Amino acid sequence: MIINHPLLGPRDAQEFTYLGDASLIDRPDWQDENAAEKFHDYLYIRDNPAGQHRELWYHEQGDRSWLVVTRDTLTHEITNVELARDVAIAGGRGR
Amino acid sequence: MTQTNRISGGLVDRSKTLNFTFNGKNLQGHPGDTLASALLANGQRMMGRSFKYHRPRGVLTAGSEEPNALVQLRAGAHQEPNTRATVAELFDGLAATSQNHRGSLETDLMEVTDLFSRFLSAGFYYKTFMWPKSFWEKVYEPIIRHSAGLGRLSGQEDPDIYDKGFLHCDLLVIGGGPAGLSAALTAGRSGARVILADEDFLFGGRLNAETFEVDAMPGSDWAERARAELTAMDNVRLMTRTTVYGAYDHGIYGALERMTDHLPTSSGKPRQILWRIYSKRAVLCAGATERPIAFGNNDRPGVMLAGAVRAYANRWAAAPGKRVAVFTNNDDGWRTASDLSRAGVTISAIIDSRDGEPRAQIPGATVAMGGRVMDTCGRKGIRSIKLVDGRTIDADCLAVSGGWNPNVHLTGHQRGRPAWREDLAAFVPGEDLPAGMAVAGAANGALTLAAALSEGRAASEKALNDLGISPNGGDMVKAEDEAADITAFWHVGESKARAWLDQQNDVTAKDVKLAHRESYRSVEHLKRYTTLGMATDQGKTANMLALAIMAECTGKTIPETGTTIFRPPYTPIAMGALAGRARGKDFRPYRLTPSHKWAEEQGAVFVTTGMWLRAQWFPRPDETHWRESVDREVAGTRGSVGVCDVTTLGKIDIQGRDAAEFLNKLYVNGFAKLAVGKVRYGLMLREDGMAMDDGTTARLGEHHFVMTTTTANAGPVFRHMEFCRQCLWPELDVNLISTTDGWAQFAVAGPNARKLLQKVVDPEHDITNEAFPFMACAELTICGGTKARLFRISFSGELAFEIAVPARYGDSLMRVLMAVGEEFDVVPYGTEALGVMRIEKGHAAGNELTGQTSAANLGMGRMVSKKKDCIGNTLSERPDLNRDDGLRLVGFKPVNRVETLTSGAHFIALGKSAVMDNDEGWMSSVTFSPELGHSIGIGFIKQGSERLGEVVRAVDLVRGKDIEVEIVSAHFIDPEGERLRV
Amino acid sequence: MSEYTLTAQPALGGYQETFEGVSLEEQTGLAIVSIATPIGGEDALVKALKDGYGAALPKTGEVSLSKDGQTRFLGMARDQMFAIFDHTEPDAVDIVGGKLKDVAYLTSQSDNWVGLRLSGSKSRDVLERICPLDLEPSRFAEGKVARTSMEHMGVIILPDGADSFLLITASSSAASFLHAVETSIQNVVG
Repeated sequence: MIINHPLLGPRDAQEFTYLGDASLIDRPDWQDENAAEKFHDYLYIRDNPAGQHRELWYHEQGDRSWLVVTRDTLTHEITNVELARDVAIAGGRGR
Repeated sequence: MTQTNRISGGLVDRSKTLNFTFNGKNLQGHPGDTLASALLANGQRMMGRSFKYHRPRGVLTAGSEEPNALVQLRAGAHQEPNTRATVAELFDGLAATSQNHRGSLETDLMEVTDLFSRFLSAGFYYKTFMWPKSFWEKVYEPIIRHSAGLGRLSGQEDPDIYDKGFLHCDLLVIGGGPAGLSAALTAGRSGARVILADEDFLFGGRLNAETFEVDAMPGSDWAERARAELTAMDNVRLMTRTTVYGAYDHGIYGALERMTDHLPTSSGKPRQILWRIYSKRAVLCAGATERPIAFGNNDRPGVMLAGAVRAYANRWAAAPGKRVAVFTNNDDGWRTASDLSRAGVTISAIIDSRDGEPRAQIPGATVAMGGRVMDTCGRKGIRSIKLVDGRTIDADCLAVSGGWNPNVHLTGHQRGRPAWREDLAAFVPGEDLPAGMAVAGAANGALTLAAALSEGRAASEKALNDLGISPNGGDMVKAEDEAADITAFWHVGESKARAWLDQQNDVTAKDVKLAHRESYRSVEHLKRYTTLGMATDQGKTANMLALAIMAECTGKTIPETGTTIFRPPYTPIAMGALAGRARGKDFRPYRLTPSHKWAEEQGAVFVTTGMWLRAQWFPRPDETHWRESVDREVAGTRGSVGVCDVTTLGKIDIQGRDAAEFLNKLYVNGFAKLAVGKVRYGLMLREDGMAMDDGTTARLGEHHFVMTTTTANAGPVFRHMEFCRQCLWPELDVNLISTTDGWAQFAVAGPNARKLLQKVVDPEHDITNEAFPFMACAELTICGGTKARLFRISFSGELAFEIAVPARYGDSLMRVLMAVGEEFDVVPYGTEALGVMRIEKGHAAGNELTGQTSAANLGMGRMVSKKKDCIGNTLSERPDLNRDDGLRLVGFKPVNRVETLTSGAHFIALGKSAVMDNDEGWMSSVTFSPELGHSIGIGFIKQGSERLGEVVRAVDLVRGKDIEVEIVSAHFIDPEGERLRV
Repeated sequence: MSEYTLTAQPALGGYQETFEGVSLEEQTGLAIVSIATPIGGEDALVKALKDGYGAALPKTGEVSLSKDGQTRFLGMARDQMFAIFDHTEPDAVDIVGGKLKDVAYLTSQSDNWVGLRLSGSKSRDVLERICPLDLEPSRFAEGKVARTSMEHMGVIILPDGADSFLLITASSSAASFLHAVETSIQNVVG
């Protein structure tokens, strides 16, 4: 596969390592009332879509950036690649 | 023997003669020949024995789809079985032998299997070898093993070298026939970066095998002119002898280039190269494969595909027979008759399954319109054919054409399904092609010349437009479309004798019918039950016939019956090519420590830990057993001082205004208040509450830390930290960079460690216990001004330091430490002594950090701060991780001190049986303790910390041990930690 | 005062070989300093680079050059660049720190890496066997830099001449990397 890195352009997927669902960015607050339950869901409950999937890839043999890659699990078509840091900030992390 | 069947014309170079042998017989051919064409030119029709029935077989095709003419090439370690004679280029001195016979090719003792063929039908394995059960291992399996396979491996290591590589292009053109040349010329002239690959050693494809004209010149001349033009273009890479074998995601293709297979020797260069081609667009111009018609005994040597017969005559000037008959269901078969007749070969008959008028006048040929061949005669090759109408016609070659199948294989590698075209009676590429791929020419069902040329050009132009390159392909080439009418006809129902479909796996029409009777309906099941299409040729000439027969049996249409899924590789690839360079010591890279060269000089024994090579122990000449060396190293360290290269531990430089806060969130214990100049042990959990890694982190400045990780986890921990930094806490000002390779780091341990170091540390730095206590760190200078880092940390339980210098000084520092330490009898110690001392001290390491152990299991539950957020703290509070009877890491001593403990043993209470229900935990690490003089171990046992003094059994069912052990503190040595604080 | 002094060893012993069409040479004395941008500190770094070096902040994947042409800044990541320059002593961090003051986080990387220069008309053919990147001259010319993996080893590659590449690879596995490049050379030119 080829991942079109937002800063570096197309790179072979062999340069990357895979983590999984991009929802791992949305780590719950440890002080929430139902923190244990939320952490359980965060860690173990995943969608397994046959189609578009937002997932985390790490450019280990490149610029060390974490990326959110939108990939169709049926065709491997990649429709969007973003820097995970930007996604995290846009999603309200770090506020 | 002379070349009895060599005729005039062709693309062989008669000015040179090549000598070769077949089964030891000396024969001659010419440059341009394949082994198959040269054998035919020498009148050798029989080339091998079939897989199951040991039937005599000759060559069926003239290309890579060949199922029959599989030979063993070369000799000794270079011997390669199952090579297709049709693609093996002739070279001087080539030695080939036929396969799968006991005795000579002509008188194969295994021929008797053919008499028992009715027992060997589809599924015979499943049916025959069921009983009696005891026969399987002793009788059936040895027989099957003996008769399995075709050729034989040399049994020696492959002496050839192989390589891999990466190529990039705008347009990849797969196949260099008329469509491919047309596509490549268009793109090349337009300035695009083009790769044109063809499996043949000549570009031109069918142009070299036919008598067509292009631009008013012979087709093969035009192909040669196109090649010359493309060769002159810097933006075009031409690759002959290169099979594009697979289409992968996002325009990536796999290709195998055969560099030296056509040469007598490889001369130290790679024999084959496996290329990964990155293309923006691709045009598949892979041509088409002719298919046979099934009739009785259609596998005898001399029965060949009509297009192949024509190719041998036109391209290779080799007549496959003296009296050739043609059996066809389409116009193409007639071209074989006319071309051969023109070349002076007698055409004895033309049998066309279609009614109507003869398509051509062939002098002397019997013409049977609406005719069918029912059977053939001749033991080692055909002598005559029998028609359904009762006529017998003499022929030593029968050219059969059942029509052409577009080579759609690569279009299906991303799971696309082909579509049926009734007018061609063939499958063509479906709509769901791999992204970026277009198909042109015969591969796309454009089976005639002018159509192929214009499709190639059009597909190329479309790809160029997609890429924003304006097409500038020059003048249209001029060529005619030939007659190509076909009426589907698959098999001769009147045939009584066996009709072969898959000749390589010996699958007959009867087998398909039997599979149907036994209720196999899906083509995928049919394939696996009968083994049809499962040989190295993947059924390229067989599958369509079987589908047609299956469709007939089920009353469905062929498209309803469907095809099996196409998978890479298109043609077989040697395992050596897939391995490439990754053999032996080159399987993976090695990382060497800064003291590696010095350790080699000492005769150290090395061990691989991940990619690292580390000194395991340093044997002395008088030592005969590894434990002597290790015990000495431990005793020397604990008795005075030892030095160990610990550079392999991961080192991560952490800087930023929020570096301390970042570490606080990463480790379970607090780091925010760690003072500058101090080191702290830290435990990292995964988010699920299980231990991930541990190590020490030193604070070099207010905003500057250096973390160490375990050797094994350096990469994963760095990745995890980047995830935390970028995804979880993007607001924190913190930056990470690995410095593992940058610093040579040595542990200096033992009661004389300080005394030794005081001799290298520059005198202005005070490293006394008062000034530089346990867990202190400093940046200082050594040996007269060289910058270094010193950490007072201990893994051995002794007074110990780790000293780090820029890696360039590592070798030098090791030598200095040894020289300075001479007066203290300093010993270098390896990973084995390191392991002994850490077990004696009860430190957890890889055996304990299994990914299934929590902080509580490790006895570090209280380290997990409840006052702050950190990775893993919430889920580490899960009830099941906090059970009263949870596992705890403790130490174990054999009650009988002479017993040797084993890791992996499970703990069972005294008097209970050794079954899972009674399992209380396991031993994770064991060693012989030189200090205590007996075997010790650490491990996990339920409520271990509350059971000190209790005796249980360590049961190791694998090694057959059952030993009584006493539960003790894991700190076997210096439990109060006095030694390391002096 | 210690009676011993430490001597520096180049990771590949100062390797230097010439083959038909290519030469391969260890770049001893190559100083590398990682420069990380603090959050919110980009403007200050841009100014410091300009004042200290007369250089621009490189984009990721690009190289900017100091005014005196002696220091190259390689854009390694959005918040990180490497300064590389010829300097034999291990105090490169202090030199860069002296020019940039406190506007960035500096880490010595000189000893983490080994530089190898592969040059000559066949250098692209040699790299084709191990480098997955497109090195076609118009696409990967001087001024570009990339970090990738060759034969399972991380490599920073930058063109530094028409047919010349600087290959920067981890010092611990440098011997294996050298072997990989030498094997390519043998397989391609011999």
